[in-house]
Amino acid sequence: MKVVIGVVGNDVHVVANRLIDISLEERGFEVFNLGVNTYLEEFMDAVIETDADVLLISSLNGEAEGWCRDLRILKSQYDFKNVTFMIGGNLGVGEMDPQLLVPKFEAYGFDLVFHQIDLNVGLDRLEAFLEARA
Amino acid sequence: MSRLFIDVGSTYFKVSQNDSIGQYFRDFNKNIFDDLSGRCGDILSQYTKEDVYICSSANGGLSTLIIGLTNSYSLKYAINIAFNSGINIIDTVLYPKIQRETPPLEMIDVVIIVGGIDGVERVFDERLLRYLEAAHYQNIVYVGSSSDRAFLEQNIENIVILENIISPKLKIQEEALKTYLTDLYQADIVGKEDIKQLYAITANQIFSTPYIVNRALPQVSNILDVADPFIVIDIGGATTDIHYSRDLVEDNIVSQSGYDRLVFKKLGVYKSRESLVHTAKSNEFVFELLEHLNVTENILEEQSEKATRILMQLSIFLVLYKVSKHHAAYIELNLETLNSIVLTGGITKVLSDEEAEEIILFFYKKILRFHRAPTIILDRAYEIWTYGIKE
Ligand code: B12
Repeated sequence: MKVVIGVVGNDVHVVANRLIDISLEERGFEVFNLGVNTYLEEFMDAVIETDADVLLISSLNGEAEGWCRDLRILKSQYDFKNVTFMIGGNLGVGEMDPQLLVPKFEAYGFDLVFHQIDLNVGLDRLEAFLEARA
Repeated sequence: MSRLFIDVGSTYFKVSQNDSIGQYFRDFNKNIFDDLSGRCGDILSQYTKEDVYICSSANGGLSTLIIGLTNSYSLKYAINIAFNSGINIIDTVLYPKIQRETPPLEMIDVVIIVGGIDGVERVFDERLLRYLEAAHYQNIVYVGSSSDRAFLEQNIENIVILENIISPKLKIQEEALKTYLTDLYQADIVGKEDIKQLYAITANQIFSTPYIVNRALPQVSNILDVADPFIVIDIGGATTDIHYSRDLVEDNIVSQSGYDRLVFKKLGVYKSRESLVHTAKSNEFVFELLEHLNVTENILEEQSEKATRILMQLSIFLVLYKVSKHHAAYIELNLETLNSIVLTGGITKVLSDEEAEEIILFFYKKILRFHRAPTIILDRAYEIWTYGIKE
């Protein structure tokens, strides 16, 4: 399975993204790492060019909302067939209530949303999700 | 043994030997070969064919139409390679929207098709074939996913298949396409009688001048008094080219050559004067700029030497504006960190140092809100190209 990863917007927090890269490889995924400071359009284009199964975005500096609002519009411009859209990290600014954040990002078009959730918990959920979908 | 370098431009010949450069106005009543032999026969007779090197921008260069799967990868990479090979891009088509596009009416020298890393299947389908049926082109090359090669080979006559320009890790791979395009340029020259005759005086491949200029850039700082990072703006009669160091951009292209080229087809002072004026008039800062230069808008309609100078100043301004962060175009250069600007091409014949400085300082103060501008060097002898061709 192919996964495109990276950190969205003008976000330079690189550490989690490295861990995500390594953890996904260990779990047997083929990873395309776009690195930090990646725009949503570039993520979508990378999914198209690689025919990826999963787009996994991370965001840590609190800008996620601003950068991801347009996901639905971009999703409507191409046939993304069975792509799973996932996001995690610090999705709000400060101590936001996950009860509010998760539905918000789901409404933007993400299938899996993790606010301040440990990476491995998130990746376990991803695998379960993919299995259920298959 | 010394060598002779010749650049055939649309208005001048430049002939360089032993570090001195002669420039000759072209006589358009004669063909290139006769004109050159008439003026430089004595010089030419001193060199064997092996020691004569020629580049040319006289035949306008090759034109291309690029069809790519996404903006951030396929199109971006192909545009980058085409520009760096000295080719002019007529149009680009984003493949998912191809059904809404109509092909250009003119004859295209080469169509480039690209999409997907190797292994990605069925990127292209009937929609591509239908579009191509309505297009006019002489060559067509495919540089996308290996899995679509068979489909394209079966359905498109004479399609050339090359290595994917997108690597398995989504990075740019430029070599194969770049070589193909520079060779095609030569083949194109061969088809053009005027330049073909020049092979009577050289045994070496004739390259396009922009390609040669691009190749010269790593050496420019050894010869001219420039400090990295720098850009070279080549303002000629028909187009304006900008060559820049990759340090000035932040994007996802990691290429081997440290310099890229961008072309503005419609910012030439002679052959595309009308569109230059049009672009100028629709720029919000231009009126202020004209006022700063103590002229009125009417100057744009005049046919005087002064008007030409103003237009050249405007084209410098517009080019900088188009690559600045104020204009979301194909590329954004980090002009704030620039140390030198080299001006070359026909413009160096017309503008004084002061006139060039004035306009660049206006841009830096007004648009970037800087107090100082980079150092400006006018390549008056137009020698930059000689470093590239000597390689
Ligand atoms: C180091 C750091 C920096 C460094 C980054 C260096 C670098 N290049 O990586 C520097 C100093 C540059 C920096 C800058 C800033 N930072 Co900072 N930074 C941190 C810090 C201290 C550690 C981040 C880190 O690397 N952690 C280690 C990794 C492994 O953990 P993690 O990032 O939290 O990721 C884990 C989980 O979030 C999760 N995860 C991450 N992504 C995903 C994705 C999925 C799908 C899943 C399931 C899980 C997941 O898995 C990871 C492992 O469990 C945190 C505070 C903290 N203690 O977390 C602040 C923090 C992230 N920074 C913060 C801020 C605000 C900034 C700045 C805006 C500060 C400023 N005013 O200038 C700038 C932003 C710069 C920019 N343009 O992005 C805030 C974000 C606030 C928010 N979102 O509400 C934090 C939380 C600090 C705080 N409490 O205020 N920062």
